[in-house]
Amino acid sequence: MLLCDFHIHTTYSDGSVELKRTIDLFGQAGFDVIAITDHVVNGDNPLGKLAHRFNFSVTAANFSQYISHIKEEAERARNKYDMLVIPGIEITKNHLTSDNSAHMLIIDVRDFIPACISYEEIFLEAKKQNALTIACHPHYMSAKTDRDTLFLWNNRDKYARFIDAWEIANRDDVFNVISLKKYPYIANSDFHKPRHLYSWKTLLNCAKDIDSIKQCIRHNKGVAMTLFRN
Amino acid sequence: MILFWIFAGITLFGIIGYLFQMIAVRSYTALPSSGEGMRFPRSFPPVSILKPLKGLDDGLFDNLESFCNLDYPEYELIFALQNQNDPAYKVAQKIKGKYPSKDVTISVERCDEGLNPKVNNLIPAYRKAKYDLILISDSNVRVEKDYLSDIARHMEDPSVGLVSNMIRGISGRSVGAVLENLHLNSFIVGSVCFLDKYLRMPCVIGKSMLMRKGDLEAIGGFGAVKDLLAEDYIIGERIHGLGKKVILSGHLINNVNEYWGVKRFINRHTRWGKLRWQIGGAKYFSELAGNAVFMSFMPMVIMPISKASLLLAATASSLKIVHDFHIGRKLRSDMNPFLYLLSPIKDLIIGFVWFVPILSKTVAWRGNRYIIGKDSVLSPMPEAGMWSFRHRVIGAIWARLA
Repeated sequence: MLLCDFHIHTTYSDGSVELKRTIDLFGQAGFDVIAITDHVVNGDNPLGKLAHRFNFSVTAANFSQYISHIKEEAERARNKYDMLVIPGIEITKNHLTSDNSAHMLIIDVRDFIPACISYEEIFLEAKKQNALTIACHPHYMSAKTDRDTLFLWNNRDKYARFIDAWEIANRDDVFNVISLKKYPYIANSDFHKPRHLYSWKTLLNCAKDIDSIKQCIRHNKGVAMTLFRN
Repeated sequence: MILFWIFAGITLFGIIGYLFQMIAVRSYTALPSSGEGMRFPRSFPPVSILKPLKGLDDGLFDNLESFCNLDYPEYELIFALQNQNDPAYKVAQKIKGKYPSKDVTISVERCDEGLNPKVNNLIPAYRKAKYDLILISDSNVRVEKDYLSDIARHMEDPSVGLVSNMIRGISGRSVGAVLENLHLNSFIVGSVCFLDKYLRMPCVIGKSMLMRKGDLEAIGGFGAVKDLLAEDYIIGERIHGLGKKVILSGHLINNVNEYWGVKRFINRHTRWGKLRWQIGGAKYFSELAGNAVFMSFMPMVIMPISKASLLLAATASSLKIVHDFHIGRKLRSDMNPFLYLLSPIKDLIIGFVWFVPILSKTVAWRGNRYIIGKDSVLSPMPEAGMWSFRHRVIGAIWARLA
């Protein structure tokens, strides 16, 4: 089984650990597959503008540098740790109310996707790039400091068919509603700090290459979740 | 005023102790490394390296990998785990896969012979060891290529029973890890060198222990230390008791402490303090007296703050910063020089931690809780009674706080 984490932030957005050290942290811990998914924040409201002001977002301007840095580190990780590193982003649509906010991962992204376009356009763009779309922390979270992002869940009838998988667990939270709805699932750490390494993870029973991994998640066969503890 | 002068005198005693520690560390770091000044002809007897693994230590992959790159003709590596669900198992597998030409064995065997979980890991691994020389090496240790050849040469002298190493804390990135490395690179290394040089007391730290199977078996093997927390120190003491030399090698090994929390730092040194209190008895009081920073702050705690008490605390703190910086330089530590300014804070924390072993006999280690007795003999925590009640209460308070 491949030990995987598909939701990891670095100092390219609001993570506290720089990319190289993040990859080393996961490599040293024996991970097989990780995705680097820094925030791309919508800049069309005061919350988003604030995030852009404090460089908590990957932007169109630094996207190519972000991707090439990930690719460079991915090669190092493959040689040193035999770990696959996939480039990704977390589309971050923050609004004043939880009901209107949504975060989603685009895994194996190639071109920049802005967060201020409509959901339909984002899904279309992700599909064009053959990227995975994952709904992040789709239900109520336990941490008081985190804002809930309920838009995708509240509008699941409309959007579920565009979403490849849902986060059934995020860091310490488990969202049983995903299980009840029998949606395809994965579990991630939403890594921002070194201590987040110890959290829910995904186990995949497939070959260690990007196409097999995407297929495994989309078909949701051979997928398991594990609570990674030290 | 008399109290002030008493504390000032104790502070001076501590500062003199720092000076002796500095000289002791300098004498070991000045020892010749491999290739120079060796007293015996070179040979390379094969070595079995036993690595007890439990959980993920900081930089575990690199730590284990450094043992696959040793400049030594014949050795085997045995990674010893209690079960396959241990996260270290995957890292061990990756290392084995990366170095197929190396003699690496992953031993997964549950062993409940003793109460010391590290010894329980070592017992099955020891049975698998092929060679007469065994090296016990902790999983949080990272070494240079010439490490094994440098320490193995000591074993050419048949009167040498055990070789241990000086340790250096590296890679600190969090506050707890920086405090830990500061303490390893000052008090721990200083005390080990001081005891070995001036008092001829073998003070073995289990991060690296090279010995012969014959000597280990002569003291009763791992079975004889399976219920001791300070199995490393006792093995050293008993081998010394056989009339064999216990050598402290000047070859520095790296103890990687990268992302420790302050709580973990305090827990470790509370545990180590309990060991020293149970083994050393009254000698343990010299540690408090030797903590010049803590002693220099005492007049400010028990008397009104005066210029003299401020001056005493400032002088002791400044000298301690210089002392730690100097030892750090000698150890070629990777620490940012500005972080040595945290030394007095670390010593104040250690000063408070010093009292815990006198008040408490319980230790929590690797997920287990024990009662520690004389010579660090472990006994299981009772399921009922006062101990259990006390820990249920403390546990409930912690849970509520969390």
